[in-house]
Amino acid sequence: MLVHSRAGRIAAWVVFFVLFLPLFALPFLVIVMASFATNWSGAFPSHPTFAHYRAVGGGDSLHALTTSLLTALCASVLALLVGGWAALAAEKLRGGTRKVIDALFVLPVAVPSVVVGLSLLVAFSQPPFLLNGTAKIVILAHTVLVTAFAYQSVGAALARLDPAYEQSAASLGARPAYVLWRVRLPLLLPSLTAAAGLCFALSMGELSATMMLYPPDWMPLPVQIYGATNRGSLFEGAALAVVLMVSTLLVLLVMGRVRTRATYR
Amino acid sequence: MASASAERAGAGPRADTGGRPVRRRGVPGPLWAVPPVAALGLVFLYPLALVVKQSFSPDAGGHSTRPWSQVFQEQSFRTALWNTVWIAAGSTAGCLVLGFVLALVIAFVPFPGGKLLSRFIDVFLAFPSFLITLALLFVYGTVGMANGLWTDATGASSGPVDFLHTPWGVLLAEVTYFTPFVMRPLLAAFSQVDTAQLEAAASLGARAPRIVRQVILPEALPSLAAGGGLVLVLCLNEFGIVLFTGAKNTTTLPTLVYSKAILDGDYPGACVVAVVSVALSVSLYGLYRALVARTTGGARRAGA
Amino acid sequence: MTRTGSATSDDPAATPGTPTGPDAGKGSAPAPGSAPAPGSASGIRFDHVTVSYGATTVLDALDLTVEPGEVMALLGPSGSGKTTALRAVAGFVTPAAGRVLIGGRDVTGLPPYKRGIGMVVQQYALFPHLRVEQNVAFGLRANRTPRAEVGPRVAAALEMTGMADYARRYPRELSGGQQQRVAIARALAIRPGVLLLDEPLSALDAQLRSGMLAELARLHRELPDVSILYVTHDQIEALTLADRIAVLDQARLQDCGTPHELYRTPRTAFTAGFVGSANLLRVRAEGHGVFRLGTAALRVAEHPGVPGPAPGAEATMCLRPHVLRQLASEDAPDATPGTGGYPDTDPGIGPAGEVNVLHGTVTGVQWRGHTHRLLVEAYGHELRADVGDLRQPPAVGARIALAFDPQDAVLLPGGLTAGAADGRTAPAAGGAGDGVG
Repeated sequence: MLVHSRAGRIAAWVVFFVLFLPLFALPFLVIVMASFATNWSGAFPSHPTFAHYRAVGGGDSLHALTTSLLTALCASVLALLVGGWAALAAEKLRGGTRKVIDALFVLPVAVPSVVVGLSLLVAFSQPPFLLNGTAKIVILAHTVLVTAFAYQSVGAALARLDPAYEQSAASLGARPAYVLWRVRLPLLLPSLTAAAGLCFALSMGELSATMMLYPPDWMPLPVQIYGATNRGSLFEGAALAVVLMVSTLLVLLVMGRVRTRATYR
Repeated sequence: MASASAERAGAGPRADTGGRPVRRRGVPGPLWAVPPVAALGLVFLYPLALVVKQSFSPDAGGHSTRPWSQVFQEQSFRTALWNTVWIAAGSTAGCLVLGFVLALVIAFVPFPGGKLLSRFIDVFLAFPSFLITLALLFVYGTVGMANGLWTDATGASSGPVDFLHTPWGVLLAEVTYFTPFVMRPLLAAFSQVDTAQLEAAASLGARAPRIVRQVILPEALPSLAAGGGLVLVLCLNEFGIVLFTGAKNTTTLPTLVYSKAILDGDYPGACVVAVVSVALSVSLYGLYRALVARTTGGARRAGA
Repeated sequence: MTRTGSATSDDPAATPGTPTGPDAGKGSAPAPGSAPAPGSASGIRFDHVTVSYGATTVLDALDLTVEPGEVMALLGPSGSGKTTALRAVAGFVTPAAGRVLIGGRDVTGLPPYKRGIGMVVQQYALFPHLRVEQNVAFGLRANRTPRAEVGPRVAAALEMTGMADYARRYPRELSGGQQQRVAIARALAIRPGVLLLDEPLSALDAQLRSGMLAELARLHRELPDVSILYVTHDQIEALTLADRIAVLDQARLQDCGTPHELYRTPRTAFTAGFVGSANLLRVRAEGHGVFRLGTAALRVAEHPGVPGPAPGAEATMCLRPHVLRQLASEDAPDATPGTGGYPDTDPGIGPAGEVNVLHGTVTGVQWRGHTHRLLVEAYGHELRADVGDLRQPPAVGARIALAFDPQDAVLLPGGLTAGAADGRTAPAAGGAGDGVG
């Protein structure tokens, strides 16, 4: 313990909450409050209503939600496949090749997402690949952006995996493919679901590249939220944002449940 | 990975195997990496290369550096570059200070619910950045909590708080959103600090600020640098926060790419800005990775 | 020179573990290329195995043969290369030079999963996501054992290790000792010819450890055909369990022999100090089995036909603490060494006719329940003597006399440098024999 006097401790906590509450807790509270309001001219919003949520229930907003969910699902599965494969392959490599693959797969984190969007737009609007204006290009962009995180989390999990498991399995006569399938993947399962959850959440909230690419019939939730706020419908935007947060949290929660079940199996 | 272990088993000079050939089975290790690398090359590297190529291909046709000279002459580009850099630097500084203070309290002045709070911070990281700007619109916007409080109290028709559409609004939002990225590595580093060391320092009569300065800060410096490096790059690349403030006078490189490409249809110009933005971010990110490798590389090597 | 000539060798199969002689590895190695039938006896042979990491050699030209059905302990301090040797057999490290043979088959280039070995590591590495029975069945399934056979063999392995009642549990529901048994059952289920145990007891507490030690001995009696390579840094484990012990230090094989040989007649100062404790005294040969330590002349049992060091040569005398006994103090002449209390030509003879008397000053007395350990400063050495529980232990600073029987002393060649591999004398040496003028 750093501060030993009671007064000092209380002072530290006061400083903490004075900084923490308005900066981190308030934003979410405010969005939730606004999503039920029709007017905010005083200290607190007024005229509570469910109208914004009813609007989400039908039409464009619902479509945006399913679009986002589908995009995130496809992107995270693809990212896990590519990133996980790359991490497994890279684990056995040493030296220069390993460094190159590491650098390659974390590069999408460093490149601005807008530029990733622009580059896909430039590359896939011309032959031999014509994807512009389809849902595929959005999913592709999301996949590129979240693969880096899948690669890093699977790689970190592999590094933590005790080689004794693999070696014991090999000494018992198990071929590498069998070891991978029966020992390593089951042991990696918690990390894999966590990585999938992370990818899903990131994809659900992706805005930058999507703004560059989305076709009119494949408009994910963040774009819809931007559209609402841009035309001044802040309260409707807030309701959509709540939907986005809740659905992201639900997916993370389910993934977390899978994780704990796997660890207790 | 069949190949890899087989290869390792066969490696090394062996003088006297009695002429028995070393059996190698399956695909050699590096080949396993080819499919994912090829996939990434197709959907990431190849498009980036085309962006560079396009930046030298003006709409008029042919290849020249005209888009580059054009963009560099524009005032809007220079403003965006300057905005990007100073907002990112300022946000990073803010995140470091704020993140250090908050992590310090969570780690060393523990209170009930502190663990839950760090979980909350993890959840925070899962949400998109533009939600912060959206929330700030309700707190500090022209119709919002702060101005509402003012008008309620004074009876004036509008409040005095109006900075959201300026770069300061972006700065505030970025500090809020990216602070958890600093806190996470810091909390990990703080959990490594030996509490006996703190108690020893305290028993020698050192007061809290002195302990922080002389014991905790040196311990936290690597993670502070790493977190700061990451946040700097993320701030340089931030798009959603800037877009949602809806400020026409606050452009950064990413929003400039967007407006040039989507609103103006000036693809070569957008590509030039994109190349500049990538060069800036990737070089800084390279520095960050080198830093992280320096601070954690030794431990990882020892573990291998 | 080999241990085979040693009079104490009671192991007919005691093949030399020592370097490179023309007879190295004799009696092992069936025709190369013959694959071992699973479960059949198969020994292990290290043929000049060298392992390096970069510039560091962690195992230096190891030559060692484990006979079929033999328990060989690899004993040494950490960093001695013993675990590396085991991992070379398992296939997790690749020798830079030399060959590893299992059952006469060169497996140096084979991946681990083709070697047909059972292995138990320090932390057991039970698969946490599989039940005990699934863990034990793992190797059988991986080797595509017919389904009908898996069940009975898993049951048999669990029965043998006393874990049949825990088949449905997960590893995390078991205690350390139980996990250990499951790990052994898992290794035995595939009926390996060779069982590799890497510090298998080090994660257990002292009480469990002695129980498991007895258990391992019983298992080996039940499976007499399985060769066991047992890596440990604990001499008690090695002395208890092993048919033979190979002592490694600094990447090299220092000594190899039965526990009895290593204890009674260590060949190097390192072995003497590592297997049991030892007083190592630097002495000078005077011929006729007499050696000089300071003013004391000490007599060592001679072995007919075995030449001892030439007069004037330096040697190291190894005296186990328990062979030293204290002479009744009132009988011990209170002579100061070097004052000529004893004529130089006359070997030390005690007042009651004892030979080999050492005089010294007590510097410490430790009571150990059934013994007293006396620390005695004598002739520039600090001697440790374990004497029976004394009614009246000597006070610190007292002058006492210690004596030992000539046949209890072992001579090691040269000075106190460990591991001088060349110029070894016969193990139970001490003798002077002929060449003395």
